[in-house]
Amino acid sequence: MKKEDVLKTLHEISMDPFPYLESKREKGFKIIGSPLADVPSELIHAAGLMPVTILGTNRPIVKAGGHLPDNACSLSRSNLELVLNYQPRSFDGFVFPQVCDTTQHLSDIWKMTISSEFFASFLIPRQVDRPSARHWFYAETRRLKEQLEAYTGNPFGREALEESFSLYNEARRLLRKIYGIKRKNPAALSNRQLFDLIRAFCYMDPRDLIPMLETMTENLPKEKAEDENVRVVLSGIVVEPSQLLDILDELGVSIVGDDLTVGTRMIAYDVPEAEDPLEALTARHFDKSPFSPIRDVGTRLYDHLLGLFETTGADGIIFFHIKFCESQDYDLPDLKHIMRERRIPMIVLDTEYQSVTKAQTKTRLEAFIESLYGERENG
Amino acid sequence: MGETKQMTAKELSKRLTKTYYEGAKHAHEQGKFIAYTTAVSPAELFYAHDVIPIYPENHSVMMITHRMTAELSESIERKGYTSHLCAYARSDLGFRELHKSPIGGIPDPDFLLACNAQCFTLTKWFEVLSRRYDAPLFVFDTPQFIRDKKAREEIIKYVMEQIYEMIEALERLTGKKFDFDRLREVIEYSRQASILYKKYLDLASYKPSPISIFDALINMAITVYLRGTPDAVEFYRLLIDETMENKVKKGIGVIPNEKYRLYWENLPIWFKFRDHFNLLASYGAVILTSLYVHAWSYDFDPSDPVRTLAENYASVFSNVELEERAEMALDLFKRYSLNGNLMFLNRSCKAVSFAVHELRDIITKKTGVPALVFESDMGDPRFYSESQIRTRIEAYLETLDQLSYDRERGLRD
Repeated sequence: MKKEDVLKTLHEISMDPFPYLESKREKGFKIIGSPLADVPSELIHAAGLMPVTILGTNRPIVKAGGHLPDNACSLSRSNLELVLNYQPRSFDGFVFPQVCDTTQHLSDIWKMTISSEFFASFLIPRQVDRPSARHWFYAETRRLKEQLEAYTGNPFGREALEESFSLYNEARRLLRKIYGIKRKNPAALSNRQLFDLIRAFCYMDPRDLIPMLETMTENLPKEKAEDENVRVVLSGIVVEPSQLLDILDELGVSIVGDDLTVGTRMIAYDVPEAEDPLEALTARHFDKSPFSPIRDVGTRLYDHLLGLFETTGADGIIFFHIKFCESQDYDLPDLKHIMRERRIPMIVLDTEYQSVTKAQTKTRLEAFIESLYGERENG
Repeated sequence: MGETKQMTAKELSKRLTKTYYEGAKHAHEQGKFIAYTTAVSPAELFYAHDVIPIYPENHSVMMITHRMTAELSESIERKGYTSHLCAYARSDLGFRELHKSPIGGIPDPDFLLACNAQCFTLTKWFEVLSRRYDAPLFVFDTPQFIRDKKAREEIIKYVMEQIYEMIEALERLTGKKFDFDRLREVIEYSRQASILYKKYLDLASYKPSPISIFDALINMAITVYLRGTPDAVEFYRLLIDETMENKVKKGIGVIPNEKYRLYWENLPIWFKFRDHFNLLASYGAVILTSLYVHAWSYDFDPSDPVRTLAENYASVFSNVELEERAEMALDLFKRYSLNGNLMFLNRSCKAVSFAVHELRDIITKKTGVPALVFESDMGDPRFYSESQIRTRIEAYLETLDQLSYDRERGLRD
C-alpha cells in the first residue's frame, strides 16, 4: 500500500467506519461500542472482541431529540442518534462510561432504547488525587473484565492482555511519531490528515492499523522544514465537525500540540509494564492529562494547557467548546480570564456536530488567525 | 426548652434558621471552620468535628424565592457564564458578584465538599468556588448505584474509603483528632430526624391529605442543614404533633374537596409554587409528594457509622438506575394513592431531568395514570412561560376530569 492509499483509506474509515467494522464482524468479531471517555479498549480487545470508540454523527438529529432534551450536549445527542437511527445494527454490545450527569443518565436511556447482547457500565472515578480513586479504578476494571468473560464465555489472562497492550502501545507510538514528524515538518501531512489517523485509531483493530501507520512513517519526510504558518495549540474534547480542521489547513495554520480527548490524550499514554495487568491499566489511567469532567488536582486543568502552550512555542490557542457541554461551560470563564491576564491569544469556538454556523465559525477563525499573523509581524 | 414547647413549628423553624445562619456568620470570629457542602452529603462528619456546614444550594433557594435570580444570573452572564447552567449555581455565583442576598449572604468557605450522588454540576460549581477562595475541594465520588450486588459492595467499599479520606482531610484542616464516638452520636440525631421527617412526609397518605408538597418543601430545609443535631429532631416532633392535632384528627385536608392527588417529578419551580398550589386547588387537585423531598428520608444505623453514611448517600434517587428510580416513584403512587402525575423537565437540573421521557413511560404503563411533561426552569423566571404552563396544567386537569367521568360510568378501565 502506498502512503497516499493509506491516507485515503484511513480518511474513509475516519468518516465512516461501519463498512470496515462490518468486515470485522464477518471475520467473527463482535463489535463493542463505547462513548468517549477512558474505557480501556485494550481490555475489550484482549477478550477477543472489537472495541470501538463511538464518535457521534454529523448527520441530522432525528430520533435522539425524543429522548434527550435539546440542552444535552451535542456529543451525547449525536452519539445516541448514531446508534438509534443511523447504525442500529452495527454494534453487538456496549461498554458505557459515566463521567458527568449527561453520560450517567444517557446510560439509562441507552439501555432502555437500544437493544444489544451486552451492556456494561464503566463507572470511572470522578476524582484522581486520592488513593481511593486508584483502588476504585482497579476494582471497576476487574469487574469489567469479569463481565466481558461472562459474555464471551472465555476467561482471558495476562498473555492476552499483554498482547493487546503491546498492539495498542505500538499503534500509539506510531501515531506519536507521525505527530512529531508533522511538528517538525508541517507540510508532511495536513492537520486534517493527522486527525483522520487518530480517529481511525478509535475505530480500528491495531493489528490492521499498525502496518498502515508503518507505511506512513516510512514514507513521510523526516527532515525539519521551515514553517511560515502560525502555530496553534488545540484545546477541548473533540474537533467537530472534522471539516473545521480543513479550514485550519486552508488558513495556513500548523497544529503543534493539543490536549484533545480525541487527540493527544488518546495517543500519549501507553500501558506500562507491571506484574499485574489490571494494575498496569490503572497506572495508565492516572498518567493521563486532565479531562474537564473529572476533578483534577488544584488548577492542573489549566496548568496543563499553559504548559503545552509554552513548551510548543505556539502563537495561540483554539478552544473547541461542544455546545451544551456543562463541564466546559464551568471551566471557560476562568480559563479565558487566565489567558487574558497572561496575554495569550485564545479563541473559543462554539461547535455542534450538526453545525449550522460553519460560515460564521470560519469567519471568526479567519479573524483570529489573521490577528496571530499580525502579532507575529509586529513582534 | 420550656419556651420552645410553646412555639409553633413555624416559629421554631424560623428561630433555628436564624440561629444557624447567625452562628455561621460569626464562625470565623470564634475560630470555627466553615465547610460548603451539597444538600445530599455526609454532613454528619462536619457536625461531629465541630465544623459548620453551609449549603450554598439552600441560600440559592432563598435568592430564587426572593426573585433575585434573573439579576444575579445576568451579572455572571456578563462574565462569560451561560444562562443554561443550574439556577442554584448562577444565583450563587451572582451573589458573589453583586453581594446581594435576602439574609445578608453566607460566609466564605475554608473547605468544600461536593458529593456527586445528587449531580455532577455541583462539582463544577464548587470547583469555581474552590479557585475563587483558594479553598480545598473534596469530591465525594459516588458512582451510580447500579443494581448489581457485587458492584454495590465494591461501590460501598469505595465510598467508605473516601469517608476515611475525608476524615483525614478534616483533621488536617482543623489540626484536631476526629472523634468517632461523637460521630455515632451525631448519626443518631440524624437517624431520629430522618425517621420523623419521613413520618411527616407520609402524613400525605391520609385522605384528605393534611399536607401538600409545598408544606414538605418548606419544612425540608431543617433536615437538610440541621440533621445531625437535636434541634432537627425536636422540630420534626413538634411539626408532626401539630399537624396531627390541627389537621389529621379533625379530618381537615390541605385543600377542600380533594379530588386529585398528584405526584410531582423533579425539583419544584421555587418561585411559582404558591401560584401552582392555588391553581391546582381550584380544580380539587393537590401535589402530595415527589422523590425529591424523599431524598432526605434516610435510614441510618449509628452502630456502623462509616458504612451507614456510605450506604445512605450513595443510594439517593438521583444516583440509582432509572428502573429503580421508577420503582421508588411507584412506591409513592401506591402508598399515597396518587392519581395524577406532573413531570417537570427542569432546564436547570440535567441530572434529574434527562431521562424523564423514559421515566414517564414506565410510570404511566404501571399506573395507568396519564402524565403531563412540561419544560421550564426551577429558578429563572426568564425561562418560565406563565400562560403556556398554566394552559397545559389546566388542560391536563381537564383530561383527568374526563377520565374520572368516564371511569365512573364504566366507559374506561
